[in-house]
Amino acid sequence: MGILIVDDSKESRDLLKTFLKGAGYKDIITAASAQEAFEALGLKGEEHRHGVTFRVILLDVVMPEMNGIEACRIIREDAHLADTPVIMVTAVGEQDSLNQAFEAGATDYITKPVSKVELLARVRSVLRLYQEMERRKVREKELIETLKQLSEANRVLTQLSAQDGLTGLANRRHFDENFSAEWRRAMRDRQPLSVVMADIDHFKLYNDHYGHQGGDDCLRQVAAIIGQVVRRPGDIAARYGGEEFVLVLPDTPLEGGIKIAEEVAAAVRTLKLPHEKSPVVPYVTLSMGVACMVPDRSKEMKELIERADRALYAAKRQGRNRVKAAEDHSGIN
Amino acid sequence: MGNGERIAVTIDADLKELIPGFLQARHDDVAVIGASLEKGDWNAMYIAGHSMKGSGGGYGFDEITAIGAAIETAAKAKDAAGVKHGVARLSDYLQRIDITYA
Repeated sequence: MGILIVDDSKESRDLLKTFLKGAGYKDIITAASAQEAFEALGLKGEEHRHGVTFRVILLDVVMPEMNGIEACRIIREDAHLADTPVIMVTAVGEQDSLNQAFEAGATDYITKPVSKVELLARVRSVLRLYQEMERRKVREKELIETLKQLSEANRVLTQLSAQDGLTGLANRRHFDENFSAEWRRAMRDRQPLSVVMADIDHFKLYNDHYGHQGGDDCLRQVAAIIGQVVRRPGDIAARYGGEEFVLVLPDTPLEGGIKIAEEVAAAVRTLKLPHEKSPVVPYVTLSMGVACMVPDRSKEMKELIERADRALYAAKRQGRNRVKAAEDHSGIN
Repeated sequence: MGNGERIAVTIDADLKELIPGFLQARHDDVAVIGASLEKGDWNAMYIAGHSMKGSGGGYGFDEITAIGAAIETAAKAKDAAGVKHGVARLSDYLQRIDITYA
């Protein structure tokens, strides 16, 4: 929309309109009273048509019935018109009313008798201000949208950087970062922390026989089982290396760790994934080692991993497809 | 009042179409203010003067703004002689102007 001129004097309206037209402005609407202006602005009637905006409103101060100051106040109350520039048109000697006009939200003013140069300069300047404000609003909106996308991308990235791409379990990095946190927490709370190391039996033979694609499928299915069994908040199930997995179980004594490991082993056995070349049974099975410690300052967290690793080695040595607990589970009452 | 000397006025060419109507309205003012004076309608005189004051200079007639201001002031003070003087000044001015558009 264009420019709205509000003045009770036809001569004033004609004059302003003619000057503005002469300067190339189009869509100039005139109103002879505040009420007519409200109508043009969509502020009247049952269906309060919001959003009828003008680029600038020229508003006479002295008008019969409602004066320009009151009209300005009402225009400003409408959310859609709150930023529309309003230039008050006031006679010389009426400057007292300017304070009130600015309090009512006027943007600028010009004095009557109107000088063409002054009128055009003021209109140009408020239009520039308005455009700048609109541009800034658009930019702000874009910025907010970008921030939203950025934070979503960050969320996804954080997740991805913690996740093993093949299996969807936590990756080694996530494990390293969080295991130390769980270790410290267990030390503070004086609670047992259990670790389970798990290895797919004869995975090299599986890969050689079923191909790498088959090997990947096998890893994914075993990982899915692990993910289903290990699901308490705070538990960590991660891919530790090639066909090796690690479980970190906070507030869990050795017995609890063994139980979880047995559950995983049983669930994998139930899958009955064929493993023809396995010297153990013709299905995919796991060897697992469980260790538990109540961490304290005299202990190192790598010791817990090493114990679980030794227990895993023992499970393998004793024929695989089994869960072995670390024998030196000091710290367990 | 006045000795018939012409007054040259230069008006913005953009306003050319508006000028005849504007000057006619001032001729009407001479009659209207005269009638208001007879009725003692000071408010009507005040409004006429005020609006002349507001529009005259905008159209390029600074003298009309000055006359309007004088009539406004006189009407406010209920000064009949002052209003009369203003109307006479207006009537005289209207008869003596020569307009050029630029």
